[in-house]
Amino acid sequence: MPGVFDRLNKEIQDKQQEGGITPLDLVGLPPALRKIMRVMLRELQAGYPRLCEIIDGMSEADRLSREDLQSALASLTEQYWLIRIGEGEKAIYKVNLRRREGSKLVAGIWSALDLKLKDKPKDE
Amino acid sequence: MNKGKIVSIHSFRGGTGKSNTTANLAAQVALAGKRVGVVDTDIQSPGIHVLFGLDERKMGKTMNDFLHDKATIREIGLPIHENVGGAVGLSKLKDTHIWLFPSSISGRDISQILKEGVDFNKLNVGLQTTISEFDLDYLFIDTHPGLNEETLLSIATSDVLIIILRPDNQDLQGTSVTVDIARSLDVPNLFLMINKALPKYDPVQLKKEIELQFNAPVAGVLPLSFDMADNASSDLFSLRYPDHEWSKGLRGVAEAILALDNK
Repeated sequence: MPGVFDRLNKEIQDKQQEGGITPLDLVGLPPALRKIMRVMLRELQAGYPRLCEIIDGMSEADRLSREDLQSALASLTEQYWLIRIGEGEKAIYKVNLRRREGSKLVAGIWSALDLKLKDKPKDE
Repeated sequence: MNKGKIVSIHSFRGGTGKSNTTANLAAQVALAGKRVGVVDTDIQSPGIHVLFGLDERKMGKTMNDFLHDKATIREIGLPIHENVGGAVGLSKLKDTHIWLFPSSISGRDISQILKEGVDFNKLNVGLQTTISEFDLDYLFIDTHPGLNEETLLSIATSDVLIIILRPDNQDLQGTSVTVDIARSLDVPNLFLMINKALPKYDPVQLKKEIELQFNAPVAGVLPLSFDMADNASSDLFSLRYPDHEWSKGLRGVAEAILALDNK
């Protein structure tokens, strides 16, 4: 029977499939959103109190007000660039980067390459 | 937030000496007593492992295995200080703490990545986990030249970005783009490093002109060196020939990175 951990993992995976931010999107983000995303890239996941702690530790010029922080978090979660698990103060935010698609080269090229490499021993 | 600093080494074009610089900088910072990791995110054309005396047979688990859920970061980290081999420069790392997280050079693995793409959530978790799992002070990232998505991710997560350029018009234009991108990504510390400078240039004047053009500090001007070319990535040059002008310039860049600790 699936436990709480499995259920949460599935919830995260389902949400991750709904979108995600590309590294290129990061370049075009408004400053407040980019600031949060940079923090989240390093933290991987964090609750609201932890984010407040990090923001409070920034220089005055870089600091966001609570209102701006909440607004940035709302905007990022709405676009599935951050995934929110849970509600209110206990919510955990997790960064959601979009997977880079594989090469669009016709499948035949990869099959031919695979075939060529298959004859080669793995540890050669 | 992780206490370790992420240092990305980048160049807009290939052949600037990026992997050599990354390996030597990491080694110098390790010699200064720091715990250092080196990740090869140049998944399409990995190469930095050669500078640490590795070939495919000695490599073990790689970042490719991590990206495909076949290995943990703990399993990938190769303690260079315990595997220094016989090279004169490399052997100086035996009393340090430096780990390499290599990418696979197997044609099959590279083909798989190109075919299936990259899970950036996984890659980012990998980068951050190297710092926490190995209690690193510095993580050096060797990136693919040019601006692709892996590179942008490593720039976005960096505390320090070092952009290497040669005094060449193509490099200058490309560097201008990279500097703009780095600024758009709010990288806190950006340094330029000029490599392969011809002897006809006055390093002081060159540094001044490049700093003026990009409005960014130049941490070092390193000469074009036949000795470096002759080394052919067989050893860590700055450790093997510490009195060489290239090595002195390189140490200046390492000092600029270490000085950020006191900022």
